Amino acid sequence: MIRRESAARLAVLMNTPSAVCLALVLAYPVLYAGYLSLHEVSIRQLRSGEFPFAGGANFARLFGDEVFWLSLRHTAVFAGVSVVLEVVIALAIALIVNEGRVWLGRVTRLLLLVPWAVPPVVNGLLWSFIFNAQFGYLNRTLYTLGLIQHYVNWLGDPRLALGAVIVAYVWRTTPFNILLYHAALQGIPADYYEAAEVDGSSGWTSFWNITLPLLRPIIAVTLILRTTFAFMVFDEILAITQGGPGNDTWVAAWYTYRVSFQPPFNVGLGAASAYVLAFILVLVAIGYVRVVSRRIEY
Amino acid sequence: MRRISRSYRIFLYAANLLAIGFLVLPLVPVVLGSLQSEKAVQRDVYTLLPREYTVANFQLILSGGRQRGPIFEQVSYLPASVERFPAAFRNSLVVGCAVTLLTLVVGSLSAYTIARLDLSWTRALLQASLASRMVPLIMLMVPLYVLFRRLGLLNSLTGVIVAEVGFLMPYAVLILAPYFASLPSELEDAARIDGCTRFGAFLRIVLPLSTPGLAACGVIMFIISWHELLIPLILLSKPEFMTLPVVLAGLVSDYFVFFTLMMAICLLGLLPTLLLVLGLQKYVVRGLVAGAVKG
Repeated sequence: MIRRESAARLAVLMNTPSAVCLALVLAYPVLYAGYLSLHEVSIRQLRSGEFPFAGGANFARLFGDEVFWLSLRHTAVFAGVSVVLEVVIALAIALIVNEGRVWLGRVTRLLLLVPWAVPPVVNGLLWSFIFNAQFGYLNRTLYTLGLIQHYVNWLGDPRLALGAVIVAYVWRTTPFNILLYHAALQGIPADYYEAAEVDGSSGWTSFWNITLPLLRPIIAVTLILRTTFAFMVFDEILAITQGGPGNDTWVAAWYTYRVSFQPPFNVGLGAASAYVLAFILVLVAIGYVRVVSRRIEY
Repeated sequence: MRRISRSYRIFLYAANLLAIGFLVLPLVPVVLGSLQSEKAVQRDVYTLLPREYTVANFQLILSGGRQRGPIFEQVSYLPASVERFPAAFRNSLVVGCAVTLLTLVVGSLSAYTIARLDLSWTRALLQASLASRMVPLIMLMVPLYVLFRRLGLLNSLTGVIVAEVGFLMPYAVLILAPYFASLPSELEDAARIDGCTRFGAFLRIVLPLSTPGLAACGVIMFIISWHELLIPLILLSKPEFMTLPVVLAGLVSDYFVFFTLMMAICLLGLLPTLLLVLGLQKYVVRGLVAGAVKG
């Protein structure tokens, strides 16, 4: 009994620093954002330090703003397309790496995390160079291969710009999925495949009947994680298009950033839009905690 | 290992080449761009490989804009990012090291209570850590900006470090808790029978045994901190405090963009984390997998 109590006291002590961190940088800001979203806070109020109560005015203005809905739509498209690409490409590369029966596989494995190592803002800048309309390397390559006669303005075309940002983003984030799939693949015992082979099962049927079902939990984890992060995309938008052309690549995080931190610093409206984004993510997060909690066994 | 057919071997080579192409080809333009003059890039727009190479971009950046050389002698305007690069690199190093150290200390204390002290509320702590990874950073930045403005923490590296530690600490817990749980508890028990306190056992037995886990967590924390843009972008507006990603983001809104200079700065900015990842791959992989699946 004494032991239990001392353990409890120790746990409280050892968790104090992290509790302070969580309170200061997570809990308080989340609550304070709620407060800000219900008050009128712009540059004038920030200077005077008095925030008058505004009721639901920020939310009313938000839901009446066409650009906000446009940003949410772009975010949904961005998340949907990028998550599918991340899963499919990562699965393919993880399977290739897992084969490991040629020496080149070792080189692939060494380079797996290269895109992950690139800072997101650097990633944005380097792709803006690749996509450049006058001298970018995508145009140079396609021209050299004879696939285009005239240079394409990838980032200036409303139909192509969001796709271009998705490509840049997916390149950086796919390695994370590859890693998780590769780890899961190595956990599948080889006898499963040998038994299937004895039963006359070939590569594709083994993949559908053994590999994919066993990877299902990890694919679920990555689906949720990647969806969340895709909803938060910011760096690549800032570095590649800054929301342009027009409003064609405005996403939720960019909207919040622009209304909060560009004149007239409408922090109240920004907090409201952040809350809407967070609400969407809560729904995703509930799913995540459920999926992962089942795997905790201490 | 079983023998494989010739056609399957060729397929595997081709597939690996494709995968390698996906992983590294986008970095080739960075290297090619950084080794050319802006004039050359804009003149030969249809060629893949440059006709001439130069290291003038790197000389200019590494000297903080002082060593101009023949290429930049005539240039009247230079991006502010060039002058700011050396200081920004230092700031990023300071922030990265401080954030790594602090998250490891705070995170390992919490992670130990989750892994070893069998209490119901420490389990809830783990779930809170999971959930807090889903909070959009931009949502925190709006109130943090107002809060730090009041506390006078805007435009200081301390403010950035505090914000990053708070934001990353839950992730550190997710990586470290499964690692601590995987250690055999017999050694701790033995130490405690010999009169060691529980906390003493944590300090003298668990932490030294956890060097690989701490290394994995530390590398990941440093890399994320090195990559972080939004927190310093919003908390810092004075040039002397800016970290590397903020200075890089400044290139975007420049009124004249030198793409070759930009690529050279990018290359210098991504090199530290690239080297870390290639050199410590084993640890990074272990930490990322643990933090996503086992946490």
